[in-house]
Amino acid sequence: MIALLLRRLLTAIPTLAAVVILSFVLMRLAPGGPFDGERALDPATRAALTHAYGLDLPLWHQVLRYLARLAQGDFGPSLVYRDFTVTDLIASGLPVSLTLGGLALLLALAIGLVAGVAAATRAGGRADRGLMIALTLLTALPTFVTGPLLVLLFALALGWLPVSGWGGGDPAHLLLPVVALALPAAGAIGKLVRAGLATALAQDHVRTARARGLSPVRVLLVHALRPALVPVASYLGPAAAGMLTGAVVIETVFALPGLGRHFVQGALNRDYPLVLGVVTLYAGLIVLFNLAADLLYGWLDPRMRG
Amino acid sequence: MTVYRVEGLRIAAGGRAIVDGVGFDIGAGECVALVGASGSGKSQSCLAPFGLSPLRAGGSARLMGDELIGAPEAMLRRARGRRVGFVFQQPLTALTPHLKVGRQLHEAWRQAGAPRPSRADLAALLERVGLDRADERLDQYPHRLSGGQRQRVMIAAAIAHPPALLVADEPTTALDAELRHAVLEMLSGLRADGLALLLVSHDLPAVARHADRLVVLEEGRVAEAGEAAALFAHPQAATTAALIAASPRLADPPPALPPPGPPLLAAEGVTVSFPRPGWRRARIVAVSDASLHVAAGEGLAIVGGSGSGKSTLARAIARLGPVDAGRVTWEGLPLPDRAKMRPAHRRLIQPVFQDPVASLDPQWRVVDIIAEPLRHLHPHLSAGERHARVTAALDEVELDDAFADRRPATLSGGQAQRVAIARALVTGPRLLLLDEATSALDVLVAGRIVALIARLQQTRGLALLFVTHDLAVARRLCHRIAVLEAGRIVEEGPIKAVIAAPAHPATRRMVAASD
Amino acid sequence: MRRLPALLIALILLAALLLPPMLPWRYDMIDWAAVRAPPLSPGHLLGTDSVGRDLLARALVGTRVTLAAAGWIGGRVDEAMMRVVDALYALPFMFVVILLMVLFGRSILLVFLGIGAVEWLTMARVVRGQVLGLRERPFVIAAEAAGAPGRTIVIRHLLPNLAGVAIAYLLLTIPQVVMIESFLSFLGLGVQEPLTSLGILVKEGADDMDVAPYALLLPGGLLVTILVCLTILGERLRDRFAA
Repeated sequence: MIALLLRRLLTAIPTLAAVVILSFVLMRLAPGGPFDGERALDPATRAALTHAYGLDLPLWHQVLRYLARLAQGDFGPSLVYRDFTVTDLIASGLPVSLTLGGLALLLALAIGLVAGVAAATRAGGRADRGLMIALTLLTALPTFVTGPLLVLLFALALGWLPVSGWGGGDPAHLLLPVVALALPAAGAIGKLVRAGLATALAQDHVRTARARGLSPVRVLLVHALRPALVPVASYLGPAAAGMLTGAVVIETVFALPGLGRHFVQGALNRDYPLVLGVVTLYAGLIVLFNLAADLLYGWLDPRMRG
Repeated sequence: MTVYRVEGLRIAAGGRAIVDGVGFDIGAGECVALVGASGSGKSQSCLAPFGLSPLRAGGSARLMGDELIGAPEAMLRRARGRRVGFVFQQPLTALTPHLKVGRQLHEAWRQAGAPRPSRADLAALLERVGLDRADERLDQYPHRLSGGQRQRVMIAAAIAHPPALLVADEPTTALDAELRHAVLEMLSGLRADGLALLLVSHDLPAVARHADRLVVLEEGRVAEAGEAAALFAHPQAATTAALIAASPRLADPPPALPPPGPPLLAAEGVTVSFPRPGWRRARIVAVSDASLHVAAGEGLAIVGGSGSGKSTLARAIARLGPVDAGRVTWEGLPLPDRAKMRPAHRRLIQPVFQDPVASLDPQWRVVDIIAEPLRHLHPHLSAGERHARVTAALDEVELDDAFADRRPATLSGGQAQRVAIARALVTGPRLLLLDEATSALDVLVAGRIVALIARLQQTRGLALLFVTHDLAVARRLCHRIAVLEAGRIVEEGPIKAVIAAPAHPATRRMVAASD
Repeated sequence: MRRLPALLIALILLAALLLPPMLPWRYDMIDWAAVRAPPLSPGHLLGTDSVGRDLLARALVGTRVTLAAAGWIGGRVDEAMMRVVDALYALPFMFVVILLMVLFGRSILLVFLGIGAVEWLTMARVVRGQVLGLRERPFVIAAEAAGAPGRTIVIRHLLPNLAGVAIAYLLLTIPQVVMIESFLSFLGLGVQEPLTSLGILVKEGADDMDVAPYALLLPGGLLVTILVCLTILGERLRDRFAA
C-alpha cells in the first residue's frame, strides 16, 4: 500500500514538471510582459527589474531555476503585487478555494448518492424517470448561469442571503456559492450512481444475496452499492478539476478572495510566477484526487488490488 | 417425509408457457434431478416458486407443507433465509467481490435466526464442504480462491442455516471435469444429515449417478420421469436418449477414426508469457517449452484445466497469438512469425473459437463473413466462384442458402458456430484449430457440432488441434492427446493408451473425474 | 414528449439562422431612445441591454456563435496521440485554455482551438477504450486468420463497430463545447465585443440583474435549454449503441 502510494507520487512528478514547463513556455511565447503597466517605466529601471527577476536569462535556464526553487516549496516573488511572494498570495487564497471546493464536493456527493440510490430503488417507475430528468438538468446547468440566478432569487428577490463576499467564512455567505458549484457535479454523480446500481443489481452475486433471504435494502446497501461506486471513484479526478474550474467563475460571481481570481488576475497582468504557482498547485491537487480515486478502487473492489 | 412437493407448475413469459404442468416431490435425504437442454424450463422451474425469477409461477409448490405460489415476498424471503439454500452456476461471479468469505458465511448464518457464530463455527462449515486451510480462508476475498473453492464457499453459505432443501442450479457446469466430479460427490454426501437435494443440470449421465430420481424436461413439459438408474439404462423419450448421447462417457466404446497420414505440423520449445496485470512489472509464463506434432488427418487433443495455458499454446502455434520463443514447422518448412504470415500459410490452418456469437462481426452478413477468407487468401477467384464456394460451405455445415443474408445477431449459438466452421472450411485448410469450440453451446447443440466435425474429419481428411477440458469429447475426435498443467505438457501419447493407463497425477485425476 | 428536445433544438437553430436579418435592429446597433427597455417594448420584443442594444438580436447571434463553436470542433480526433491522453487527462486543461486566451489575445479561432484541445481528450479516451475492447474479440482474430491485413481489419471491422459509440459521444461533446465557450466568454476571455455569444450575454445580464433581471433570464434560459436538449439527445443515442 505504502509502496503503491510512493510509486504513484513519484510518477506524478514528471507530470507536474510537464505542466509547469508547458505553462512556462506558453507564457514566455506570448507578447507583452509584466512591466507593461499603465505608466511606462524608464529603460534603466526596466532592465534592472528584468535582471532582478532573472527574466533576461535563456528560457531553459529560467525553467530550471524555477523548477529547482519549486522543489524547495518556493513559488517565487509576485511580479505585480511586489510586496507579496506568490506563497503569501496562495496562502491567503487557498483556504477560501479549498473550503468552497471541499464543501461543494461533499454536498455533490451527498445529493448524488441519495438521488442515485433513490432512483435505483424505484427503477423503471415514475419517480425514477423524474429523478433522472432532474439530474440531467443539473449536469447541463452551467455554474455561471446558476450562480447569478441563485443570487437573483435568494439574495435580490427574497433577501434571505447576502449577495456576495466572503464574510470571513460565514456560513450564510458560503451557502449560495457552494450550492452553485455543487449542482452540476451532483447531477453527474447521481447519474453515475444510478447507472452503477442498475449494473450491480443485475449481477450474479446480488441474486446469491437475494437467495440468502436478505431484505431488499440490505441487498442494495451491503452487496450492490460498493461495486456501483467504482464509476463514481473514477469521476473524482474530473470532478475535482470541474470544481477548480467552476471556482474561477463562482469566485468572480460572488467576489470571493480565492485562488481562481488570483489566477485570472495574474494571467491578465502577466504575473508569471503567480499564474505558474496556481497552475502547479491545481495540477498537484488533481494528481492527489486521482491518487485518492486509485486507493478508493481497492476498497470498493478488492479484485483491483492486484 | 416429503420436504418439497411441486404439482402442475406453470410459468409463462410474454404470453407463452415456458413451463407447463411440471410436478415432482423430494423427501428428506433424497436427491431429485431436473434434466433438460437449454430452454427446457428447468432453471425457471426451480427458481420461480421461490421468487428468484422475474416471472410469476402458477400451480402449487409446497415447502414443508407451506404453499409458496402466491405467497407474499416477505414469507418467500423468510423461506429462502431459513429453509432452503441455493447454489448457482457461476462460481466466479456469484459471491460478493468486496466481502470476505467469513463475512458472507456469517451473514448467511445469522439470516436463519441462529445465534452469532464463532470463528470456529464458520471454519468448521468450510471444512464440511471440503476446503483446506479453512481458518485462513475466512479472511480471504472471493477472487483469491479458485473456481472450485468458490463453489464450495457458496455451498457452505447455502447450508449454513442449515436448510431442509438445497437447490443447486447447474452447480458444476462452469467447472472443469475434475472439479465437477468432486463437487457433485460432496453435494451428494450432504444428504446424510437428511438434507433434500434438488439438482438442475443438462449433464444427464453425471447427475444420474447421484440422484435418486430424474425428471427429464422438454420445452417446459415432463418428457419422462422415474428412478435414475433405470431411466439412464433404458431411456424411453427421444430427449432422454439425446441428452445421454450428447454427454459421452469414457466408458462408451471408442469410435473408429480415419488413419493418420505423413507428418504435417511440428512445434518445438514454444514459450509464451504475458505482462502481469496490475501495478507490478512482471511477466506471467503461460506456456513454457511445449513441443508437439500433428500428422495429416490426425486429431491431437490439447487437454487441461482452466488456466493451464492450452488455448494460449494452440493460438501461438497457429500464429494467432503472442509467442516468446519456439519453432513451428509445416511439412518440414518453418512457419513465419505472426506478422509475417503469407496467404499461402494462413490457408493451411483455420480457427474456430469458443464463443460463436463473438467470433462473427456483428455488422456483417453471413455471406460476407464466410467470403472474407476467400477474398484475402484466394484473391484470384471471380465473384461467381466465390459465391459458389460460400454456398458449398454453407451446405457442408448443414445451413440452407437463406442464412446467407442474415446477420449474426439473428442466429442461435449453434447456427453461429456452424457459420464460423463454414468460414474456417471455405479456404480448404489442412488443419482446424478448435479452441473449446463446443463448450459454450447447449448440450444437445454441442453434440450435433461434434458430430459435424467428426464427419468433416472423415470426408476432408482434416487434421485437428482440439483444445478442450473434456476427455470424453476429445476421445471421440482425436488420435493422440497432450495434457497440459500450469503451462507444461506433462503427458503425451495415443489417447486410448493414456486414458487406459494415465502416468501423470494430473491425467489420472482427469480420467477419474470423467467416467 | 420524447421528440421535445430535438424539436426545441431545431427551432432554436432555425431562429438563430433565419431571424436576425428580419429584425429591425442588428445585434451591435444601439437604440439611444431605449436603454434598458423591458421586454415587449415597441420595436424590442425582449427589451434592450444597458447600452440599448436589442436583446433578441443579440441572443440569436449569440446562439449562432455558441453553436458554431460546437460544429467546428466536430470530430477532430487525433488517434495518433492516444498514448499521451491518459497522462494529460489529469491536468487542469481548462487553465491552459484560459492562459491561451489571455496571452495570445481573444481571437475566435483560438477559442475554438482551445476547446478542441480540451474535448479531444475525452473523445480519445472513449475511442481508445472501445478499440482495446474490440481488439480482443474473437472476430478480429478470425479476420487475422482469414488473412486480412491490419489496415483492412481496422477499416472493415474496428471502425464500423466503433462508429455508433463514437457518434453518440460526439453528440455528447457538443453540450460540453457549448458550455466551455460560454464559460470563457463569461470570464471575458472568449469572443470579443461587439460580436457576442450566450456566455457574454449571461455575464452582462448578471452584472445588470438587480435592475434588469430579464437580461439574465433570457440568455441564461436559452443556454440552459440548448444544453439540456443536446445532453438528452446525446445520452439517448449513447444508450442505444451501448446496449
